Amino acid sequence: MTPWEALALLLLLFTGVLVVTLKNAIHAALALIGNFLILAGIYVALEARFLGFIQIIVYAGAIVVLFLFVIMLLYAAQGEVGFDPLVRSRPLAALLALGVALVLLSGLWGLNLAFTQDLKGGLPQALGPLLYGDWLFVLLTVGFLLMAATVVAVALVQPARPLDALRPEERKEEKEVVR
Amino acid sequence: MSYLFASALLFALGVYGVLTRRTAILVFLSIELMLNAANLSLVGFARAFGLEGQVAALMVIAIAAAEVAVGLGLIVAIFRQRESTAVDDLSELRG
Repeated sequence: MTPWEALALLLLLFTGVLVVTLKNAIHAALALIGNFLILAGIYVALEARFLGFIQIIVYAGAIVVLFLFVIMLLYAAQGEVGFDPLVRSRPLAALLALGVALVLLSGLWGLNLAFTQDLKGGLPQALGPLLYGDWLFVLLTVGFLLMAATVVAVALVQPARPLDALRPEERKEEKEVVR
Repeated sequence: MSYLFASALLFALGVYGVLTRRTAILVFLSIELMLNAANLSLVGFARAFGLEGQVAALMVIAIAAAEVAVGLGLIVAIFRQRESTAVDDLSELRG
């Protein structure tokens, strides 16, 4: 392992820790962007260049920006304030996470992988024939899934009736029913 | 190999985040961490077993995008009704 690799992996884990510990939701999302950018660099180093670019464009560029947008929309920047009912279960969660890590690491124990595969740099020219060959059905299914998700997301945020159309007393009533 | 170790630790971090976060948005951030840990191991394995691992990672990214669209839609819809995104307030699904 070269020093650069070690640095990248340490930074990856450090930003991961920031994502799960920072109180402010916007700071956590920014740490997640850092995590994704480092991951993209690691992908490029692992001969997955196309995936590295997709990581930056789709994940860091679109998904996390969507997160930031929703955090700001819902005034949820102060992510976690007030009474914390989870304080006592936090060590339990850490223990469980440690158990998961041990199970995953035990799967790697004694694994001896020979890195000899020629990946052609992981460029689109190499991935394209696979995507539109053996993986065509999967690609089409995922495309359909994305379309369905878009439709569902739009349908979910449609109000049943515009709130402004309700009279004030009606609005109050509806809130009580909902609560 | 070191990438696979890092991927396992990153996944465990995501598990910890999902278990300890109280806001649905932050739980989603932790789920993204877990998906990316899976992607990292897929790309790491692709070094040994061929390009299929990278194609699978692409599919995981697409699934993550769909999940975020639906999940954030749900969060916005729930926030409209309850003015809160704390997962402890959502322990019942009676609406």
